[in-house]
Amino acid sequence: MSPEAPELDLEQELDQLHSAAFGWALACCGGDRAAAEDALQASYLKVLDGRARFDGRATFRTWLFSVVRYTAAGQRRRAALRRWLPLAVLGATPDGRPDAATELARADGTRRLTAALATLPRRQREVLHLVFYQDLTIAEAAEVAGVSLGTARTHYERGKAALRKLLKDEPA
Amino acid sequence: MTEHNDRDLGERFHALRREDAAAAPALHATFAAARARAATTPRRRTLALGAAAIVLAGVALALLLARRAVPTGLATVRLRTPTDFLLALPNEDLLRTVPELGRVTITLDRRTP
Repeated sequence: MSPEAPELDLEQELDQLHSAAFGWALACCGGDRAAAEDALQASYLKVLDGRARFDGRATFRTWLFSVVRYTAAGQRRRAALRRWLPLAVLGATPDGRPDAATELARADGTRRLTAALATLPRRQREVLHLVFYQDLTIAEAAEVAGVSLGTARTHYERGKAALRKLLKDEPA
Repeated sequence: MTEHNDRDLGERFHALRREDAAAAPALHATFAAARARAATTPRRRTLALGAAAIVLAGVALALLLARRAVPTGLATVRLRTPTDFLLALPNEDLLRTVPELGRVTITLDRRTP
C-alpha cells in the first residue's frame, strides 16, 4: 500500500531545489543550457499542473530529479526523431551538446571536468553527478536513475575510475 | 552525505555546482516560461497531430495506389514451361477422378503391343 501523498507547497519546494535541479537538468542534457532550461520548464509544468504527482514514497528531491531525468530523456528522443524528420512545426532541435558560451564561462578546472565527464557513458555520468555534485547517497542516486543499487554501485565505481584516469591523463 | 572519501573529485564537482548555481535562470523566469509553454502546448500538439494525420493519409493513399497497380490474379494463372510435356502421364485422368461402376474412363492406346 502506498503512503498518503503529503501536503506540500510545490512552489516553495521548487524554489529551494531550483539551482540543484538546474544543475541536474544540465547534466541530463549533456551541458546544453537551452535544452536544460527547456527540460526544467517542462518538468516544473508537469509538477505544477499535476501530471507528475509526488506520492511521498521518496524524498521530494529524488522524485523531482526523476521527473527532470525522465523529461530530459523524452526531449532527447524527440530531438533524435526530429533530426530524421524535418518537421519544422515541432520546434527547434536541441543537439544535447554543451553550448560554447556556457563552456567559455567556466573556469579551467571545471571545463576539464565537464570535458572528461562528456566522454563517460551516460549512466556513469549521471550517477557520478548525483553522488558528487548533488551529494546524494548511491541508493538515492539509484532511485533517481531508475536502476538497482548494485547497478548504480557498478556505474559509480567504473565511472569514478574512468574519471580519475581522464583527469590524471589531462595536460596540466 | 556521500558514501565515499574522494575529496578531490568532490571539490571539483562542488566548484562546478557553484558555477552552475551562479548561471541558473531565475526561478520566476522559469515559472513564467513554463506557464507560457502551457499556453502554447495545445497548439503545437494540434499541429503535430495534423502533420501526423497528413503523413498517415499519404502513406495510406500510396499503399492503395500501389495495390491497384499490381495484378492480383497471379495465383490463377498457370505458367506453361517448354518442358511441361515431360510431366504429362498417359491416362493421368485416373489420378484425378473417382472410378465408377459401368463407366469406362480408360482409353486404351490400340497401337500399344
